[in-house]
Amino acid sequence: MSRLPVLKGTLDLLVLRAVTWSPMHGFEIVSWLERAAGGSLDVDDSALYQAVYRLEERGLLAAEWGVTENNRRARYYKLTPAGRTHLRSETKSWMQYAETVTTILTAPPPVPDASATR
Amino acid sequence: MIRNGIRRVFDLALRRRDRWEREVEDEITLHLALRAEQLAAAGMSADDARQEAVRRFGPLLESRTKMLDAAHHRETRMQRTEFLADARQDLAFALRTLGRQKAWTAITIATLALGIGATTAVFSVVSTMLLHPLPFPDASRIVYISQQPTSGNNTGVSVSIMPGASAIRDWMKSSRELEDMQATRTRQLDLKTTTGDPSSVRATAVLPTFAAFAGERPLLGRMFTDNDIRAGGHVVLLGEAFWRERLGSDKRVLGQIMTLGDSSYMVVGVMPASLRVGAAGTRPTDVWLPFDLRDDKMAGQVIARLRRGASKASAVHELDEISKRAPRVGASSVGDLPFRAVVTTPAEEVRFRDSLLLLTAAVGLVLLVACVNVAHLLLARSATRRREMAVRAALGAGSGRLFRQLLTESLLLSGAGAVVGIGAGWLGLRAMIALRPSSHDELKAAHLDATTVGLAIAVAVVSGLIFGVLGAMQSSRSSAHDTLKSGALSASAGRSHRRARAVLVVSEMALSAMLVVGAALVVRSLSSLQHTNLGFDPRGLYAIDLGGRARTLSPAARTLALDELAERIRQLPGVRAVTTARAAPGSRWFSVGRFEIEGEPPPPKTAMSFTDVLYVHTNYFSTMGISLREGAGFHDTTGSAREVIVNEGFARKHWKPGEAIGHRVRIADSDSINGSDSTPWWTIVGVANDAMTTGPLTESSAPFLYMAVDSSRRAQTILARAEGGAAALKAATDIGRQLGVGPIAIDGTEAFLSRSLSGPRFVTMIMSVFGALGLLLAAVGLFGVMSYTVTQQTREIGIRVALGASSARVVKSVLVRGAALAVTGAIVGLVIAGWGTKLIQTQLHGIERLDPVSFALGAIVLVGAALVACVVPARRALAVDPMTAIRAE
Repeated sequence: MSRLPVLKGTLDLLVLRAVTWSPMHGFEIVSWLERAAGGSLDVDDSALYQAVYRLEERGLLAAEWGVTENNRRARYYKLTPAGRTHLRSETKSWMQYAETVTTILTAPPPVPDASATR
Repeated sequence: MIRNGIRRVFDLALRRRDRWEREVEDEITLHLALRAEQLAAAGMSADDARQEAVRRFGPLLESRTKMLDAAHHRETRMQRTEFLADARQDLAFALRTLGRQKAWTAITIATLALGIGATTAVFSVVSTMLLHPLPFPDASRIVYISQQPTSGNNTGVSVSIMPGASAIRDWMKSSRELEDMQATRTRQLDLKTTTGDPSSVRATAVLPTFAAFAGERPLLGRMFTDNDIRAGGHVVLLGEAFWRERLGSDKRVLGQIMTLGDSSYMVVGVMPASLRVGAAGTRPTDVWLPFDLRDDKMAGQVIARLRRGASKASAVHELDEISKRAPRVGASSVGDLPFRAVVTTPAEEVRFRDSLLLLTAAVGLVLLVACVNVAHLLLARSATRRREMAVRAALGAGSGRLFRQLLTESLLLSGAGAVVGIGAGWLGLRAMIALRPSSHDELKAAHLDATTVGLAIAVAVVSGLIFGVLGAMQSSRSSAHDTLKSGALSASAGRSHRRARAVLVVSEMALSAMLVVGAALVVRSLSSLQHTNLGFDPRGLYAIDLGGRARTLSPAARTLALDELAERIRQLPGVRAVTTARAAPGSRWFSVGRFEIEGEPPPPKTAMSFTDVLYVHTNYFSTMGISLREGAGFHDTTGSAREVIVNEGFARKHWKPGEAIGHRVRIADSDSINGSDSTPWWTIVGVANDAMTTGPLTESSAPFLYMAVDSSRRAQTILARAEGGAAALKAATDIGRQLGVGPIAIDGTEAFLSRSLSGPRFVTMIMSVFGALGLLLAAVGLFGVMSYTVTQQTREIGIRVALGASSARVVKSVLVRGAALAVTGAIVGLVIAGWGTKLIQTQLHGIERLDPVSFALGAIVLVGAALVACVVPARRALAVDPMTAIRAE
């Protein structure tokens, strides 16, 4: 099975999506992405952390130290209100973009336009 | 196992383990561990799982660096945000607290503003007049060089002489201590105008190098050169103001010819207004002429720049050595110097210097009182806020946080004080300029400069920091627990607090006592000056001088014209008496030479002295209102009789009353250093009472000789006493024109005397304001302390009233305490003031340094103000209702 490289800029969107429901630590985010993509996404773990840090710096994520189910100290990330807004608008424009691209890619071959030749 | 391996990798890059570094590391470690566990659970061996986890993580070192960077950024930003948020919170809190205590805040800001404002205004004047008096480059090395007679000066004032051209040439040639030397000479010249009436212009002669010395260039045209001087020096540069105002900035003026005095000059350039020989604000030079150093008859004011590292003393020494070596005509032996070089800095030349220093000291005291008062106010407030601070500490506010908050508050207060203070300083400076003594026009140029404003802000900020720290220390000294438990001030804390405030209020009282005494002294000194018996009657007395037209006349024709004018003025209605003399009150004429009294050992051959000599008409004494104590005036006014009338102060020094008449005196020519004894003697025929014709600031026991006017001793001025004031003399202007000696100048002697006191009057005015300010601030301080005491003792007073104490007793207890503080302060202040008057002795005239009236006045005013300040607290004490007071706890 071939693994898809993540398109530039979309990793941020995926990370934000990961923490929409509840705060997660880094590994949880990675695991969720892998599970959600059905293993077809190629993400370096380190790239993911860099994305997380970047989002935090931009104020889209907020971090807090917490404890895992196995009592390990972990840094939990949650969506900030700004992050939620950003996710919503970015998702929308991604969908539109993807739809447009899909429409174009699946469009039928061009036919001569009758009116143009009149 | 994994952890250790990873750690080692990290350790390579790890140097400083700051918090965020540790966090990043923990996060990565956890991730790798979880990943390895996940892989192991899927069936990998532990080792493989560990390696796979690291592999999947990607470029470890690189991403770790990136993460660290991000974490670091985040951390700093958070700290900054937190700091700003805290600061904003502190500021909001401070504004709220201060807003709740409006009266307290207003008083504190006003106190600071008064102190800062007064200081700013005075320092601006000092900075302009003393620190930056001249606009030349390397101003700190600029000096004036003049000469003083080596021995003998009978005039009672210090006399300095402009060095002559030959001395200046010698100095210029040989001096090593002075790197640049300039000679200047300023005088009034008549400019021939198209209307025919000559107009007087201020002409300054300077060397061709002067512009370079001052770091200036001509606005237009060129500076004159040595060649111009060799060619006769008939070239002139115009001053910018003269060029703009009188010639309408006409550029075609170059090459034109103007007639100044007796000579014609060609205009070769225009000099910028910034080129000056005097201080800023003084009258600018209208025209610049070449100074011809080759002419031995020339003398000039010398301005020089000291070599780097040279001192005034080394310069004096060198100049005198040079003068000694120079061959001099008539010197009895090498080494005899009739004149000694005197080197002064421009600041020392400021006549107003002592007064300015007095004002600086006074304003320093005002600032101190203000600072003490602010300390006081903050202390009072910190006492009432102890509980608030304790509660907040108990609720978890860190001491650093509380400290920052107090600091914010203090800085806010001092910042407001600085802003209002600079405004007040600006207004004060405007007022000082408006009220400036007429003799000190350079004050006009005073302005708030950056240094002064910076200083004011520094004072405000430092005081804010100090008082902020003081307040913080005060509130953190007792633990929150104790403060809360005891509910109010504990007895001992209250006592130490009261003691601190008593010390503050006593020092305020002492400082303002000094100010009040200082003000009283200068007021009394001025009043004594104004009421000095001048020995002549200045009321309705006017001096009338001939105008520019008369300058073209021969001396004899001038005298005729003067006598004619005097005669015509005598006939004007309202004119009671008219006389003529060499000079009018306000100016002095000296005769230079050895002053000898017949029968007394002659002064050394080299002794030069300056003796006041005035040529007067016989009716001078009656016109001036000077009475003759002995003798009957001149018998013979031909001059050959050689009769002289002397002043009483001089006569008393040498002879018993009634014995001066018939003695002879003479002034040997300055050339008589060779020993010419042929100078004739003059016989004393009368003794006139001492007349201070140059104003009350001059002393007079030195010889003052009156000689009768004659053909070799001509009168130059008419003195007239007119009943109707200047209006009576109005017609004199027309007469002067008719006689061809216009436009005549009429100067009132009373106005001159008033001008001569304008300096002391100015100082008195400002000192009085400072005295009042100090007093007001100290009274506010005392009021604060007494109100506080009464509030603290409400319970005690209540109990005493309940036990039957009369209201008189209650009031008395308050007043006694207030008076005790005031009296202690007054005593301390008066003692220091008594010592301090040594420093202002030169400013006091006609009163003792320890003038009992001034000191008594100071004490009374101070204690009086103190009692007034206690009235409100006393009434508050009276109003205490025993029932409420006792139940209050």
